[in-house]
Amino acid sequence: MTDPRMTRRRFLAALGGTAALTLWPGLSPAASGGAQTRLLVVLLRGAMDGLHLLPPSDDADYRRLRGALAVADAQPLDGHFGLHPKLSFAHGLYAQRELLPIVAVAPPYHQRSHFDAQDCLENGTAAPGGARDGWIGRCIGAMAADEGVAIAQVMPLAMRGSTRAELWSPPLPRPVPDALMQQLQPLYAADPALAPMFADAMAEADMDRSDGARGAFRLPEAMAAAAKRMQGAQAARIGFVEDTGWDTHRGQQAALERKFGELDAGLRAYREGMGGEWARSVVVVVTEFGRTAAANGSAGTDHGVGGMALLAGGAVRGGRVGGDWPGLSPTALHEGRDLRPTTDLRALFKGVLASHLRVPEAALETRIFPDSRAIRPLDGLLRG
Amino acid sequence: MNETSATAAVNRFGLGAKPGELAQARDPRGWLRAQLRAGPDLAAFAGLPDSGELLRRQNAYRQARRQDRREDRARDAPPSAPDGAPAGASTPQAAAARERSPLQQALRRDAFDDLGLRYRVAATTDAPFVERLVHFWSNHFAISIDKNQARLMAAPMEREAIRPHVTGRFADLLLAVETHPGMLLYLDNAASIGDDSMLARRAVRRQPKRKLGLNENLAREILELHTLGVNGGYAQQDVIELAKAITGWGTPLPRDAGRADGGGYVYRPVAHEPGARSVLGRRYADDGEAQGRAILRDLAVHPATARHLAFKLARHFVADAPPPALVERMAAAYLRSGGELTALYTAMIDDDAAWSDAARKFKSPQDFVVSAMRAGGIALDRNPPVLLRLLQALGQPSFTPRSPAGFPDTAADWASGDALRKRLQAAAALAGQVSAQRRPLDLAAATLGPAAAQGPLADALRRAGSPQEGFALLFSSPAFQWRV
Repeated sequence: MTDPRMTRRRFLAALGGTAALTLWPGLSPAASGGAQTRLLVVLLRGAMDGLHLLPPSDDADYRRLRGALAVADAQPLDGHFGLHPKLSFAHGLYAQRELLPIVAVAPPYHQRSHFDAQDCLENGTAAPGGARDGWIGRCIGAMAADEGVAIAQVMPLAMRGSTRAELWSPPLPRPVPDALMQQLQPLYAADPALAPMFADAMAEADMDRSDGARGAFRLPEAMAAAAKRMQGAQAARIGFVEDTGWDTHRGQQAALERKFGELDAGLRAYREGMGGEWARSVVVVVTEFGRTAAANGSAGTDHGVGGMALLAGGAVRGGRVGGDWPGLSPTALHEGRDLRPTTDLRALFKGVLASHLRVPEAALETRIFPDSRAIRPLDGLLRG
Repeated sequence: MNETSATAAVNRFGLGAKPGELAQARDPRGWLRAQLRAGPDLAAFAGLPDSGELLRRQNAYRQARRQDRREDRARDAPPSAPDGAPAGASTPQAAAARERSPLQQALRRDAFDDLGLRYRVAATTDAPFVERLVHFWSNHFAISIDKNQARLMAAPMEREAIRPHVTGRFADLLLAVETHPGMLLYLDNAASIGDDSMLARRAVRRQPKRKLGLNENLAREILELHTLGVNGGYAQQDVIELAKAITGWGTPLPRDAGRADGGGYVYRPVAHEPGARSVLGRRYADDGEAQGRAILRDLAVHPATARHLAFKLARHFVADAPPPALVERMAAAYLRSGGELTALYTAMIDDDAAWSDAARKFKSPQDFVVSAMRAGGIALDRNPPVLLRLLQALGQPSFTPRSPAGFPDTAADWASGDALRKRLQAAAALAGQVSAQRRPLDLAAATLGPAAAQGPLADALRRAGSPQEGFALLFSSPAFQWRV
């Protein structure tokens, strides 16, 4: 198998260097440190219900608010919280201290529009529309030579802003005939701008074959594809995966059984795909906001504010539940209806970037998360 | 001007040649100017429901859905699939939900018809320069249909607000867009309420805790993206002042759904912030709805706007890094004309810098698909869902740029190994739909110009084992990936 190579930079080089690469001044390859560490960000679009994934099982308010929707058979974690039974692989990670759920997190946007909340989470500022590019893209731009890969059909806002971020999505069902590739080879060899890309297209076609059967492409397949492109010396250091279908206004129980099963399989696929490099990996699973503390009248939940995040990986100091839990009593709720957010997601992201990727604080609080000096990075997320 | 220029006219300024088009463009500049004189094709889109009607239908659907949910609750019935379930979700509940909502099905069908027509016109028009301009302005004034409120409004906004004005005055285009329900919903102006408006004061008396107020979103994008440009010399205070001036520009409330005026646009005086405004140092008296209009008319002919529009157009048509002198000449011609778009376009096509052999653009995924449809006479528009899935798989889902800045417009944004691989796959699929009566080499010459009839591509096309293999080779060749 050929290493998938990141081509955009080479494309720019082939065009004659018209677009200069912009590096964060003063950030040398040595300063970016720990070059072997890996970060995968998983964005669950649609607002995943954290109270369903990590139910506070012993909380009378929880059972009162959720009624029949309360998760009765959660796998116990720390005596207070449990993990939904479909997350059995994740539960194993927790036992190995490689899973760290963080409760009551949200981006700084506290309204209830999916679009605006995702925009805010991805752009890394305090508001929707606050930037045209994203915090992951700016982070890659701030690192010396590291590259990113987004498993998506369109470059997500989170990863815009760097020339070293590539897109990958599964091939169309119809393979390119070998004979056609052979005929095209001399034609592309004569086009200096497109020749490197054609070489990569050939390599991708080989990888398609090694992927074997084509079928549904959901979160497990996407996370496996990310792992494939994130291991080895030439690989992308930062990955991004997105998933939809988490907006459970109705029939939440059945819908989330399926979705949690996929998330669990995705974590397993990434763990297996990374092999030995799992030890130096962090997976951050986030969503744009939480859902109403109470169940609605159609066995679902509506848009809320406080959500949750999951950190997984060999580098994570897991086996505990992180974040400040505000409780679910009527007075504790945000606007009387939603879990109150106690941690700004930017603090979580900054903590991971600072300790896992060794991004300097100056870059974090000015360029990657503009005007965020007051939002201190969470510490203690990772081992040693 | 020679045959090479005809190739440039149909590829660089058009949407890729239909067979026979190179001959029509034998006088390349004359061919382009004639299209500008004739103006946009409006007849093809007559008869589609207007945005006011679509808002009414959407409202009816939402009411029915609320009713549905109330019944669910009353019955305590087993619920149906979540709203966010992807199309084609295969749970029985999802199927039931789909069956239950004929209103929603009708809305989807309308939206597909609308998009199908857009691509049918693109694939068949005899005025591809004007059609490309429609697409350019549609992306300049991008709305993204992944924002729920704007979901139904993108193609209607293009045909109602953009298409009629692409060869007119920019001020008219700007005003039509900024008062279209699509833009007002996408950038939240429909929910922007002056802090001292009657509506806000009344709300404070009745419900002191409820927060109504100014939303700057549309005003900011008007200045940053639609007119002056990000370095156009405006300040945050200008954003706020413009936002106040356009308070009240909105859409009908559900209870006004019966109102048939204005194609879905409503001016609500009770939401308008009273008082004079000052934008870029100029004072605008409080004139209700006309106050914001006066500001937009001035912005339309501001020198920074002229430079911004000229740069984006030159980058779109000529080169990723267009010659600055060309941009300056275009901007100057625009300002001399008092804001006529045809002056801007004519300055570009009259300029030799725009016809340079060195200039070329890597086709965006949509360019690639449309040019293959035109070359091969492929009626992919007959099955809009298939066409839309293809565009999405290639990385440019219709009207879904996910940002008010629109889809990017340089090779670095579109060219990569993964993107090229998908194009090769798509080429093979597209080739299967070209009539086998055609000869690949002739098709190459008819679309890429006489140069394609010799050299390595021609040799390979001659050797192709079947017409379909030849068409696949043509569509996947490097020459077909560039607008030269």
